[in-house]
Amino acid sequence: MSEHAEPKFKPADNPTFSLPSSLASLQLPLLGGGLVALIIGVAMGFAAESEDMPRFGFSTYLTAYMYVLTLSLGSLFFVLIQHLVRAGWSVVIRRIAECFMILLVPLAILFLPILFSLFFEGRLFVWTDPNYASEHGLDSKMWENKQMFLNAPFFIGRAIFYFVVWGGLAVYYWRGSTNQDETGERAATDRMQYWSGPAVMAFSLTTSFAAFDWGMSLAPMWFSTMFGVYIFAGAILSAHCLITVVTYVLQRHGAIKDEVSVEHYHDLGKYIFGFVVFWTYISFSQYLLIWYGNIPEETEWFYARQRGLFGGLSLVLILLHWLVPFLGTMSRHVRRRPGLMACWAVYILVMHAVDIYWIIMPEARHLVHGNIPSMGGAVGLIASVLSIVGMTALFVGLGLRVASGNRVIAVRDPRLRESIVFENF
Amino acid sequence: MSDTKSEKIVHGMMAEFTTVDSLLSACRRIRDAGYTKTDAFTPFPVHGIDKALGIKPTVLPWICFFAGITGTCIALTMEIWMNGIDYRYIISGKPFISLPAFIPVAFELTILLASFGAFFGMWALNGLPRFSNPVFTDPRFDRATDDRFFLYIDAKDDRYDAAGVRSLLTDTGSDYINEVVEDDSPKAVPRPIYMIWGAAVAASIIPLLCVLLMRVTNSSQPRFHIFPDMDFSPAKDAQQTTSLFGDNRAMRPDVPGTVARGQLIGSLDVMTGIDVDSLQAMNAPRAERLVAAFMQDDQAAVAEEVTEVATEEEEQAEASVMQTTPWVKDNPLTVDQALLSRGQLQFGVYCSVCHGMDGRGNGLVNQRAQERGFDTWVPPSNMHEDTLYSDKYPDGKLFSTISNGIRKMPGYAGQITVQDRWAIVAYVRALQLSQNASLDSVPASRKDEVSQAVESAKKELQRQAEEAAQAAAAREEK
Repeated sequence: MSEHAEPKFKPADNPTFSLPSSLASLQLPLLGGGLVALIIGVAMGFAAESEDMPRFGFSTYLTAYMYVLTLSLGSLFFVLIQHLVRAGWSVVIRRIAECFMILLVPLAILFLPILFSLFFEGRLFVWTDPNYASEHGLDSKMWENKQMFLNAPFFIGRAIFYFVVWGGLAVYYWRGSTNQDETGERAATDRMQYWSGPAVMAFSLTTSFAAFDWGMSLAPMWFSTMFGVYIFAGAILSAHCLITVVTYVLQRHGAIKDEVSVEHYHDLGKYIFGFVVFWTYISFSQYLLIWYGNIPEETEWFYARQRGLFGGLSLVLILLHWLVPFLGTMSRHVRRRPGLMACWAVYILVMHAVDIYWIIMPEARHLVHGNIPSMGGAVGLIASVLSIVGMTALFVGLGLRVASGNRVIAVRDPRLRESIVFENF
Repeated sequence: MSDTKSEKIVHGMMAEFTTVDSLLSACRRIRDAGYTKTDAFTPFPVHGIDKALGIKPTVLPWICFFAGITGTCIALTMEIWMNGIDYRYIISGKPFISLPAFIPVAFELTILLASFGAFFGMWALNGLPRFSNPVFTDPRFDRATDDRFFLYIDAKDDRYDAAGVRSLLTDTGSDYINEVVEDDSPKAVPRPIYMIWGAAVAASIIPLLCVLLMRVTNSSQPRFHIFPDMDFSPAKDAQQTTSLFGDNRAMRPDVPGTVARGQLIGSLDVMTGIDVDSLQAMNAPRAERLVAAFMQDDQAAVAEEVTEVATEEEEQAEASVMQTTPWVKDNPLTVDQALLSRGQLQFGVYCSVCHGMDGRGNGLVNQRAQERGFDTWVPPSNMHEDTLYSDKYPDGKLFSTISNGIRKMPGYAGQITVQDRWAIVAYVRALQLSQNASLDSVPASRKDEVSQAVESAKKELQRQAEEAAQAAAAREEK
């Protein structure tokens, strides 16, 4: 029926379906090295704290954490959406997303330092500082209303709720998929598809509110209803990039070589291109409305990001997070070259880290109107980079640990054949 | 034209297949045989048929891409030209060329033109629109949308040779091979089409006839308004009354302190001729009253503030004017030929009637007043008196005098714009200079001309004096 030779189906215990040993052996170095780098990075972050930057230490941790959290959440959404639309093409790469999706469970533990920061008043979230309203001359009535949402017990309760929802979804879909490797029952797929609708709704609400809680509430007087979608846009974009990179690395090490073809890279490339545009669209609509409305309490957030070094970083984001990858991944010829596509994916993953950094770090400054956010000098920059790199290494190490105990492809998914022979028009 | 089939124009060869696989293998055969102008027709999409036929990827994405870029450029150029250059319009205090506001339109136009590029580009690449394609002459071709697969080799192909193609297609296992020939079905447009078209044209005259009929006949019915809100605008016209405001005026006066666009000349110093900062230091209450009067747009109060100074000045007779009011010493506008010409024109219009074209205070009004001998008449100043030169009568004071008047002279602030008043000041200074200029300051090329004029003027004066003397002598003799 097609130009491809008829696919050969390998038995479920084929060695190319498990994590190559060369990659599996990277687990411990990545976990250990990542943890050390993270601790040193965050420690340097605390060292970089000054009167102008009183929240630098916890902010570096939050930046690194939000980065890997968005990767993991994006992977979860990828899995949910494939089930929701009953996608056939993605079966061969879905397990890779699942391996990162299940990391939401250990990420719940890594969230503890952020909860821990609540005990130090105003050391990360300024709304925990009881003097914040009086120091900044805020209207007490309004601040009381804000405090009905922004208070430590409710915040902790919400965080637990988010992780219960995400963890529950991740475990449910992980179990369903891995159990199918053994049983091969079709009903598992049907069950996962059945729950994917409510799951996507639960996911979108929790993700949006988590973004409000952990990103937006750093500047408690600022609000943007678009912010949740903005974080989600970065998450889903980087998840596709992560899947592309990991698939490429796995293939380079000999796994799933016959299953994933250039067609899958082409499709991932289309999504990456599309979500680059989506990220731009969302971030621009958030900016345009606030820019046009020009209301002081709304513009404050962007104002801080339009001056000094962060002003330059905003321009860098426009050029390097939109224009360059937009033009770079536009062509079909690029998308059909896995090596090139993996390079673009790595590039966008780096830009996503810059994006998260741009969202969180300016709020580490002393929140007085007109105070230009700084990057904390050389020490601060190294701290930020080191903690993000460390956290990412930890994340990838955990992912490898999960993958080494399982197969890297859903071997008995009923749509596996459809996925292998999948071809773009 | 003969009716025999062999003489018809041949467009290509069509072969029918019953399965996808036989079609694909046939496609590969003819691709490998080197045919390029080929096409396959299937009732459903077939994966890999592009490759099997050797069809090159389409250039449509490129058309789409460049159409999109064109859209972006058109939108940005249009917006920058319209809002930033041609008709500058302040919208909520944003800059004229404000890119964030331009992006939605640029985005939409990019999408629009990219879609047009894709849609019309596809038409162009497919040779559309066309009414018919010769392949439809094949009697079995209709089944291409049903359950048969067809392969077509165009006669325009370089390798086309009827016998060779037929044998090649036979080799691929097709059991129905047919030459595609020119469609010989009648090309004449059926009569009913003409009739419908004619009826449509005839019917299209009806609305026009209705309009014409209505224009020339009287009717007892009220006029029919298609857009009543455009015929009867709820907006008030100038000079109408309204119950909305206490003063019943539909035309609203400016809010005090409003500065209309294009009317902001510069600082208050330029508007008053007084160095307001120095006045503040010298006489703070007066400065405040002056600024307040300006903010309220109260001409009378402004004039009063300045007149007060004038009386003070007269009392202190010889005291320097700078001691009572810190007047602006130099003309704040750039004095050039254009400004002087403007000043000359305005001086001619407003000032010369009293002060005379030469500024010596003997304008037509003065002449007439002298003739009539009005006892309340105060003669206009001679601009060439020492006390009116810039060392004693600073530019700012001259400006203020023009604006607010002095003695019998009324203020001209209502008639002459601020720039024109300063232009008059500049012209008066030039006029004063001209009366004291030495011949040295005249350009060498025109020195002769001037000295001749001076000579002839002297002669004329002499002649007049002699005439007068003769006349006097004649009168005495009588």
